[in-house]
Amino acid sequence: MKKALSVILAVSMVSSMLVGCGNTAETNTEKTAKEETAKGDTAEEQVLKVAAFEGGYGADMWAEVCKAFEASHEGVKIELQIDKKIEDVISPSMKAGEYPDVIHLATGREAALTETLTKENGLEPLTDVLDMTVPGEDVKVKDKIVPGFVDTLATNPYGDGVTYYAPMFYSPCGLFYNAGLLKEKGWEVPTTWDGMWELGEKAKAEGIALFTYPTTGYFDAFMFALISSAGGSETFDKAMSYDDGIWESADLTKVFDICGKLAAFTESTTVANANDQNFTKNQQLILDNKAIFCPNGTWLPGEMKDAPRADGFEWGFTALPAVNNGGAGSSFCWFEQMWIPAAAENKDMAKEFIAYMYSDEAAAIFAKSNAVQPIAGVSENLEGDNKMFYSVYDNGATAVMGGFQATAPVEGVSMKDTLFGTVDSVVSGDKTVADWQKAVEEVSDKLRDAVQ
Amino acid sequence: MNHKLKKHLYITACVAPAIILFTLFMIIPTINVFRISLYKWGGFSNTKTFVGFDNYRTLFKDINFYGSFQNSILMIVLITIPTIALALLFAGILSRYKFRGQNFFRIVFYIPNILSIVVIAAIFSAIYDPSMGILNSLIGVFKGGKAAQILWLGDQKIVIFSIVIALVWQAIGYYMVMYMASMAGVPESLYESAGLDGANEITMFFQITLPLIWTNIRTTLTFFIISTINLSFLLVKILTNGGPDGATEVFLSYMYKQAYTNSSYGYGMAIGVVVFVFSFALAAIVNLVTKREPLEF
Repeated sequence: MKKALSVILAVSMVSSMLVGCGNTAETNTEKTAKEETAKGDTAEEQVLKVAAFEGGYGADMWAEVCKAFEASHEGVKIELQIDKKIEDVISPSMKAGEYPDVIHLATGREAALTETLTKENGLEPLTDVLDMTVPGEDVKVKDKIVPGFVDTLATNPYGDGVTYYAPMFYSPCGLFYNAGLLKEKGWEVPTTWDGMWELGEKAKAEGIALFTYPTTGYFDAFMFALISSAGGSETFDKAMSYDDGIWESADLTKVFDICGKLAAFTESTTVANANDQNFTKNQQLILDNKAIFCPNGTWLPGEMKDAPRADGFEWGFTALPAVNNGGAGSSFCWFEQMWIPAAAENKDMAKEFIAYMYSDEAAAIFAKSNAVQPIAGVSENLEGDNKMFYSVYDNGATAVMGGFQATAPVEGVSMKDTLFGTVDSVVSGDKTVADWQKAVEEVSDKLRDAVQ
Repeated sequence: MNHKLKKHLYITACVAPAIILFTLFMIIPTINVFRISLYKWGGFSNTKTFVGFDNYRTLFKDINFYGSFQNSILMIVLITIPTIALALLFAGILSRYKFRGQNFFRIVFYIPNILSIVVIAAIFSAIYDPSMGILNSLIGVFKGGKAAQILWLGDQKIVIFSIVIALVWQAIGYYMVMYMASMAGVPESLYESAGLDGANEITMFFQITLPLIWTNIRTTLTFFIISTINLSFLLVKILTNGGPDGATEVFLSYMYKQAYTNSSYGYGMAIGVVVFVFSFALAAIVNLVTKREPLEF
């Protein structure tokens, strides 16, 4: 009796597992059948799968813009996936071959989903989107986008003139500081690096450090702006496309030297907090008047809005001082990107969706959350601090845009780690500027061979 | 149906679920890791290129990988030794003596083990904070207000030890409970007769307790290897992300960086294979070296 019972139990255990597997299969077929009938009923209904990264601007604007798109495009239903770690949400199904139709996800993220698809030639060219008419308007997309935004490696990653990423919300990057502190002490914002070092000495005497940074990752915008200021756009493009010897050229040596000197003026606890867990403590140094400048983007005031601050605190924002005497200051313009995977099913509707992103209707929805599209005239309607941030280019600073050219993956070689990560070692004195520069050139050599 | 066949069927039915699940979720993925390590692949496209052992050749020339390997080995050694010593000490005290608050200490020691690693990271980043952290404040009390700030997570010579301390702290309770469980099985009469022979507590610990729980200690040594490899990755990922400048990179965090951030999935899997072989080999060696004739009691 006991044995019979055990056999029954064991058999039921095995069968329940098999049934479990079987069930899923059944539900799946049922689902597809249902979907098919649904399709049959409304023959024209099209489902557009949109995946968006939920950044500092929040998720509401995406829901709203998708609703507006559905309203203006009859028969289209948008399935929106939005998450702060959207790559974790979408990559499992992408690996199984189910891709979203449109993805809003910038380069430079840790999971590097955008870069991986770029490196694997998994993107749909968007050059024809630029020639499309903006839905509901009679202007072409390329005529609405601010000039210059689709001419760099940040939208044309292979450097062949073909656009693969659509430029979305942009943000000038530069140095943030406490304008109240500078006013109180009677210090001017330096326009040259010599002026910067003078200010550094003055501040040191009062126990204030000149510089801090959230994490070394923020050095991308910082160094890109410096490179452009030191050698102009040609040098910048050469550096971004791993031109032989460019990282050891005279212009870029100036950039490394400035970073090296800045390391000596960096607040002493910065390196200890320069990680994903504690970077806000470094940003707090600005609010507490313990450091003057911090490289960042326009999302910083929002990120620190609830943080305590010194009396009389007032956000200040400036472009980077000119590297060459008499040259122009510069500010890197960072923007998020939207793209279509080559394996997407609904490419035509996806392109229509991207074109719609540049409509006045969509831009107005985004602007409510302070997300600024690179559409001519949009930044003019900004108010308050945001107006000041976005006017940085009106005050003579050069806008720098772009990023490293896409290469095939090179095992064990990372430009990001070598160029930016080493800053921590330079600040702590574990590596010299010369070693750093040499290592960067070596990485550049290795990546040059892998340019696609 | 004869009796033997029935019995076989019964056994098959009993072990089938476990075997199917084990094959599906352990063996097949492991084989896949080995297979993918022979390809150049970013992880998404269908364009996998077979490159043979190229990934391994690159790996054995990759200086960053050696750095992370060194850090991992250092952690395995530095975490295992103090954790074993302290866990044995506390287990010995808590199981041999009766004193007030015994249960309280038992719970306090075990608590870190039930905390999520994210919470542990948050606790230690507060402890290690250079300006407001408890550690620097305490040092300030003894050395006077002008003591130089120690950057527990910023100084490349110290940071790895900061991680080790956090991991030792979280591991002690777990191993202490395991040792206590086996110490409870040691007959009291052995201690009594040793006491009559004039042995003191320390002699008893080394001559009676330790040899009698040796099998248990050997098992935990394997646990140490596995858990240090896993937990060091989790803690490093949250607390420092391998920084500053790779000073706390362990081989799993390096694997993650290569497989995802650097879009070299195949290369990441090659690192995975090396880690797999290394941990297996290390566990086997440790097992072999610590082999003793089991004592009966």
